[in-house]
Amino acid sequence: MQFAFGGVRPALTLLIGVAIMVAALGFALVIGETRIPLADIWAVLRIEAGYPAREVNPIDHGILWSYRLPRAIIALSCGASLALSGVVLQALLRNPLSDPYILGLSAGASTGAVAVAILGFGAGALSLSGGAFIGAMLAFGFVAWLARMARGNSAQATSSLALLLAGVAGAQLFHALTALIIAKSADANQARGIMFWMMGNLSGSRWPDVYLAVPITLIGSAIICLHFRALDAMTFGREAAQSMGIRTGLVMGVLISTTALLTAVMVSMTGAIGFVGLVVPHAMRFLVGVGHLRLIPATALAGGIFLILADIVARMLIPGQTLPIGVVTALVGAPAFAIILVRSSRAHSG
Amino acid sequence: MNKISLGVAVATLSASMAMAQDYPLTIENCGHTVTFDVAPESVVSIGQATSEALYLLGLGDKVAGTAVWFTDVLPEFAEVNAKVERLADNTPSFEAVVNKRPGLVASQYEWYVGPKGSVGTREQFHDLSVPTYIWPADCVGKDNSVGVDGTREELVSTEVIYQGLIELSQIFGVPEAGEKAVADLKAREFAAIERAKALDLTDTSALFWFSSAKMDADPYVAGAKGAPGFIMKQLGIENVVDSSEEWPTVGWETLAKANPTYVVLADLQRRKFPADAIDVKKGFLATDPVARHMDAVKEGRVLVLDAHAMDATIRTISGLELLADAMEQAVSK
Amino acid sequence: MRIQADNISKSISGKPILRDVSLSIEAGQSLALIGPNGSGKSTLLRVIAGLLAADSGHITIGGDRVDRLPRRKLAQRLGFVTQEAGTTDAIPVREAVKLGRTPWLSFATPFGAKDRDIVEAAMQQMAIESYKDKLFNALSGGEKQRVHIARVLAQTPQAFLLDEPTNHLDIRHQIAIMDWVKAQQGTVALALHDLNHAFACDRVAVLNAGQLAAFGTPSDVLVPEIIAPVFQVGVHQSKSPHVDHPILTFAKESFAT
Repeated sequence: MQFAFGGVRPALTLLIGVAIMVAALGFALVIGETRIPLADIWAVLRIEAGYPAREVNPIDHGILWSYRLPRAIIALSCGASLALSGVVLQALLRNPLSDPYILGLSAGASTGAVAVAILGFGAGALSLSGGAFIGAMLAFGFVAWLARMARGNSAQATSSLALLLAGVAGAQLFHALTALIIAKSADANQARGIMFWMMGNLSGSRWPDVYLAVPITLIGSAIICLHFRALDAMTFGREAAQSMGIRTGLVMGVLISTTALLTAVMVSMTGAIGFVGLVVPHAMRFLVGVGHLRLIPATALAGGIFLILADIVARMLIPGQTLPIGVVTALVGAPAFAIILVRSSRAHSG
Repeated sequence: MNKISLGVAVATLSASMAMAQDYPLTIENCGHTVTFDVAPESVVSIGQATSEALYLLGLGDKVAGTAVWFTDVLPEFAEVNAKVERLADNTPSFEAVVNKRPGLVASQYEWYVGPKGSVGTREQFHDLSVPTYIWPADCVGKDNSVGVDGTREELVSTEVIYQGLIELSQIFGVPEAGEKAVADLKAREFAAIERAKALDLTDTSALFWFSSAKMDADPYVAGAKGAPGFIMKQLGIENVVDSSEEWPTVGWETLAKANPTYVVLADLQRRKFPADAIDVKKGFLATDPVARHMDAVKEGRVLVLDAHAMDATIRTISGLELLADAMEQAVSK
Repeated sequence: MRIQADNISKSISGKPILRDVSLSIEAGQSLALIGPNGSGKSTLLRVIAGLLAADSGHITIGGDRVDRLPRRKLAQRLGFVTQEAGTTDAIPVREAVKLGRTPWLSFATPFGAKDRDIVEAAMQQMAIESYKDKLFNALSGGEKQRVHIARVLAQTPQAFLLDEPTNHLDIRHQIAIMDWVKAQQGTVALALHDLNHAFACDRVAVLNAGQLAAFGTPSDVLVPEIIAPVFQVGVHQSKSPHVDHPILTFAKESFAT
């Protein structure tokens, strides 16, 4: 492990990162719409762990254990998944502006959601999340098919471009479908409900969601981690990677499918939360370098922590009202991206 | 005097007394001045509230078309409504409305006919010499540019509902129909308030849950100044939500800790969100790890109310009565 | 390691690029691939490298068929340097060179001391040691090319394929690269535009419209009779007292004899 991680310092940094993550989880438990004393928080944790502790009001107990804790864990999973998807797509598509939605996933998810909520697809048997997931996978399938058609027989170098362009086309198509459904069939209430969901919303996260989100995030992260060498090898393009022994077709298929699954699950749970997948990878490259062995865990941790903190801000910024979390990530992400852009252009020419 | 001419004179006199409306009639309505030289021949009604108001005033035969229906029409109007063309269940197109050559377009919300109206702006209709009338409950004391459903600056009251009925009856030259309808509703309203006073409800609070976009996510609840807020105030009940928005989303954390005495669930007919259905809402209250500890849930103080009573329409008064009924039953247990 | 191409044909988007090309490079030899634009040089190199599949025919390296070798094994034997491989990543030079070890690394054999030594040696050989912490994108064209060659050196293959490595380089760097080719022990095949550079190689292959027009030693192939019709220019060969090979000069029409 000494060789793989290159020494003690990176391992220490990883430990610090994990510690920050735990601290962020703690903040998310302590800070909330209503005030719950710290002593109660500690008591609830002890009770759930099976240790004796003082009595806590069942509503407070429920809020801490069944509302805030799952919500924080979902924020972690979602942030990590989106950030990892961003890192992978930026490396594979050789485009630093790639984010997890570039392959049409969030556009498809919103179409699926409005189909269920407004058109009544699934006749009540299908939830908003179920519809969103199906929509996301349909859009991704369409984009993959379109990219295949566009690539045809030509050289492999253009296949990444074909995928990017197909993603743009697919996203536009599904966005248009969403707009059509809303314009044609939605009344005021429904339109508002959908828009709130589409901007990203972590409320309603419960333990069953955690049982889905965490394993998927862990499995997806593991698959991505295993491919760190292939991602590094893509630095100078597909051809260079192939000449260094990477089976790029297989790797791209596996990794893009993994990110599609991660993103589709997260978007169907929480709506489309932007900027995490785009900005966090760049920020981490700036901090830990471009080597994916360090970049992948750093990005996952940073994405998770970022989203927990963003959720806290979304809940607390305006008293009595919850902002859509996508607004917070954009408000932070956009200037952060600008700063990274300026700093890195100086670094490049240095 | 000749008997026949006396009869004619009396008949003419009573006829003109029956038609006691002065034209031209000018009404200030939601920021527009609308003038009528004569009663309109026909009307297209966009919104269940205005449609049912017109039926209540006995103007069913003047309605050329309706659109925007949230629930089934009130049973007492079913026969009349069956003869009226339904242009759309939801938002009608501008052309479909204008095609009916209506003498008036009445809309329940500015959301349909207003500055950003999904059917059209009021000016678009006025340009074609079609006057428009917005149900006063949607603009009196309300700013529709703030908040998705608009924000109320002051508590709504049944006065705006009565204003709508009176003004519509005046427009159509049947002011006595309006006055009678209002008198009936006022009597019922008064009776319900008296019943509530008799229950001596002190320290009673309530929460009105409309629906939720996603099952466990923050619910849409009634704000402080909309019709449910009014109903609660008339009955002497405190609303645990004090937002000025019509239907704000408030987290279950806050609602549970507010621990209202009663939880009122909206009975919607539409089935677009899972939480539209009453059983689903009840199921949530029974199983959610936080909500099920609310006193109202534990002690069975969960009431059901027709969703449309939660808008400022003629049904609001029956909402008042229904809630007074429910309170009486609950208290007597 | 011997490289052999047998009856290679390849069409791209319906256009035939290579028609029945056969050639071989003996172990330790260097081959210059020359020909006009569109003659198929880059395509042939890519087919040999296993980056493109031939429509018919096969490539054999060291006795093994390229299409039957797993990619990793192929990469351990063959290194490929393309023109202008750039990146948007802020990668330092040393990390770029380290990438060359990729085909030798796995979870069982992670990057170790031996790999570090190989990387260092490669950087020294290409005289880029002083840049090792600089960002790749901050280098000049010639320096970048040397980094790529160092990367391929770190790959420790038995054969090197280079696609027009001297393009866009100033003369000093062009000479440095050809010196490296001459000094190289392993098998080298490179595509060239500057025909005078081809004198540095053991063999020269001339491609014209996808077919092998000539193959042999530089002195046999780099003569006006062969070069003029293929490149459609006037060619004149002269001796120079300063170098140990003839020099070709070119003009638009044929030189009057």
